Amino acid sequence: MAEEIQKKLQKELEVFNGFQKEYHKAVALKQQLDSQLNENKVVKEELQLLKKDSEVYKLIGPVLVKQELEDARQNVAKRMEYITKEMKRTDDHISALENKQEASQENLNKLKNDLGKIKLKA
Amino acid sequence: MATVSTAPAPGMHQIDLSKLNLHQLGQLKQQLDQELNVCQDSLQTLKMAQGKFVESGECVEKISPESLGKTILVPLTGSMYVPGSITDTTNVLIDIGTGYYAQKDIDGAKDYFKRKVQFVTEQMEKIQVIGIEKSRVRDAICKMIEMKMQVMAQAQQAAS
Repeated sequence: MAEEIQKKLQKELEVFNGFQKEYHKAVALKQQLDSQLNENKVVKEELQLLKKDSEVYKLIGPVLVKQELEDARQNVAKRMEYITKEMKRTDDHISALENKQEASQENLNKLKNDLGKIKLKA
Repeated sequence: MATVSTAPAPGMHQIDLSKLNLHQLGQLKQQLDQELNVCQDSLQTLKMAQGKFVESGECVEKISPESLGKTILVPLTGSMYVPGSITDTTNVLIDIGTGYYAQKDIDGAKDYFKRKVQFVTEQMEKIQVIGIEKSRVRDAICKMIEMKMQVMAQAQQAAS
């Protein structure tokens, strides 16, 4: 009986660790997206400040390619939209993982309790 | 470049330090130490960014109409240079982030770097305020830990 619970505990612990790893990954991703969004915000503001006839270049690989100011503005806006969507997805993912982690933790505690009781009896 | 808000997070509530036990205080101190480290790192990074903007601003100051046609050495790699000459002293290209470069005149460039330096300085000030606040809380926790230790030691002496 005790061995069975021990096995279950081991399994649950693995599941819990898996969730935790995934959670840390998701948080790191969110931070990365956040900094990208901030950088894009700064660029957008800067593009907004430029005069109509200013020349704008985009770095593609090692070359600078000339781009219309209007195009650049639209591209940045699109990019921001995409990042915001990604952020929302990651946020949902994070909260889902939080719930899973909590459930797993509860399971773990229960199993630990059970094991403790059996050991006391023995 | 992250913007920092100084507003306290909603849902933050005050905890009476004297009601926590030693273990909890230790955990809290550890957490604050971590947060303080993050603050220090951010400050360091911002300082570097600020330095770069200041340096770029100074470079722009050095470009004047008299530099037209002057020869310069252009770095192709970190250790190889080829001669070149300045053909345009009125416009410069500025990296504004995410791979975009904008052409600006000298005054515009000066203004750009001035604004950037100001922005970074503002962020640094905000982080400094947060850091001071955090180290204040950390000090309070350290004092509380010391007090509890003393009380415990006294209790032990009285018991023996």
